[in-house]
Amino acid sequence: MKNFQQNLKKLEATDTQVLGVSMDSAFANKAFADSIGITFPLLSDWGGETTRKYGLYVDKYKAARRVNFLIGKDGRILEEQIDNAAIDPTKIVDACERPKLKG
Amino acid sequence: MKKLLITLIIAAGLLAHAAPKEEPTAMPKVGDLAPDFKMAYFDGHDLKEVSLSQYHGQKQVILAFYIFAFTGG
Repeated sequence: MKNFQQNLKKLEATDTQVLGVSMDSAFANKAFADSIGITFPLLSDWGGETTRKYGLYVDKYKAARRVNFLIGKDGRILEEQIDNAAIDPTKIVDACERPKLKG
Repeated sequence: MKKLLITLIIAAGLLAHAAPKEEPTAMPKVGDLAPDFKMAYFDGHDLKEVSLSQYHGQKQVILAFYIFAFTGG
């Protein structure tokens, strides 16, 4: 999350909205955001409906896998980073900055 | 006729039983349409609802799933 925050200015300049998602409550997410200085929305997937819709629910942890999706203006997925690869979002930040991304 | 009907009922019952209860959805791949969603966040005053479709044609979206708050990353 912090990595996205560090790149937020860059991302906003490329018409990109960053949204974090977890199965925590909206209030826990807000406390988390405040504690580490995150200014973009952290969405609450209370109950896990979206997490399941994206095939990311891990029964063992009762939580989502760590995955970043870059979704284009047409609603199609442009890039994915999965599990440990999702900790460093450079690939997705770079993809946002790629000129003339299909939109 | 009655025998056939009973056979059919049993067969249907077996099929229903054999079918997996809840097939987990596969993760969408690059090029797929991202499933729409509606989720809320707390902005300090109110709960605000956000959907993926509201950005359609406006902005690209980075959707970052993480495991739990307060776990870093």
